[in-house]
Amino acid sequence: MLVMINIAQLWILAATVDAALARKFSVLLALVIASAVCFLITISILRWWRPVSHRKTSTGYIRTSAKDQ
Amino acid sequence: MDKNLSETIDRVMKDERLSDESDVRVATAPFQAEFPYERAEEAQVTRREFCNFLGLTSAALFIGTGGFAVKAALDARESESFAAAQIAGAEDLAPNSSLNFNYPSEGESAILVKTANGEYHAYGQKCTHLACPVYYSREHQRLECPCHEGAFDVATGNVLYGPPPRALDTIEVQVRDGQVWAMGRKPTGGEHAS
Repeated sequence: MLVMINIAQLWILAATVDAALARKFSVLLALVIASAVCFLITISILRWWRPVSHRKTSTGYIRTSAKDQ
Repeated sequence: MDKNLSETIDRVMKDERLSDESDVRVATAPFQAEFPYERAEEAQVTRREFCNFLGLTSAALFIGTGGFAVKAALDARESESFAAAQIAGAEDLAPNSSLNFNYPSEGESAILVKTANGEYHAYGQKCTHLACPVYYSREHQRLECPCHEGAFDVATGNVLYGPPPRALDTIEVQVRDGQVWAMGRKPTGGEHAS
């Protein structure tokens, strides 16, 4: 998913360059916002969507016995 | 039979246990000490490193997009004023022919076309596709780009066919006392920032 977001952002950057050269300034803000949303999703993935460790459950409780695992 | 089978299994298992790197020569030469090269570590990129790299790339792309948009908007806000400049040699131009000149600055090439009916039209010479210089085709009476076979209307600068996404930049032309003057350059294909 991170790779796909990077590709999308690359496409947005290319569209921004093209819009600036074509002097279509009204779409610049939308493109910047789209890139910002992609960046925020990336941050959220890196920050919160971490894989669950072997010792902790998804709710944060520490597993105590082999049976729980 | 069973013994042979078990020996074969043992041999296969032993081969599988051996690493691919087992026959790699150990880095012991003096020059190798200066460039310690751990092949096993080199080959492995952890998921954490890869995700961090993608995160940094995402940040860089976002900053690049924002920076480019801001710069384009700021550049457009600056009022562009062009000084009038005489186009030397334009008065002697034969009908259905063209002349290259520089406008508004020395580094920006432009093309002046005198059509078969005597009208003057001038455009920035950069093709809007990939900035190749366009030329005037007498045979077809249009401006053509030699790189990717794009063509522009000589009267309006609009795209006739080919990959260019928008019209050529227009240069306003005036004839004063028989002299041809360039009066300003108008980018085409979009809005103007207020």
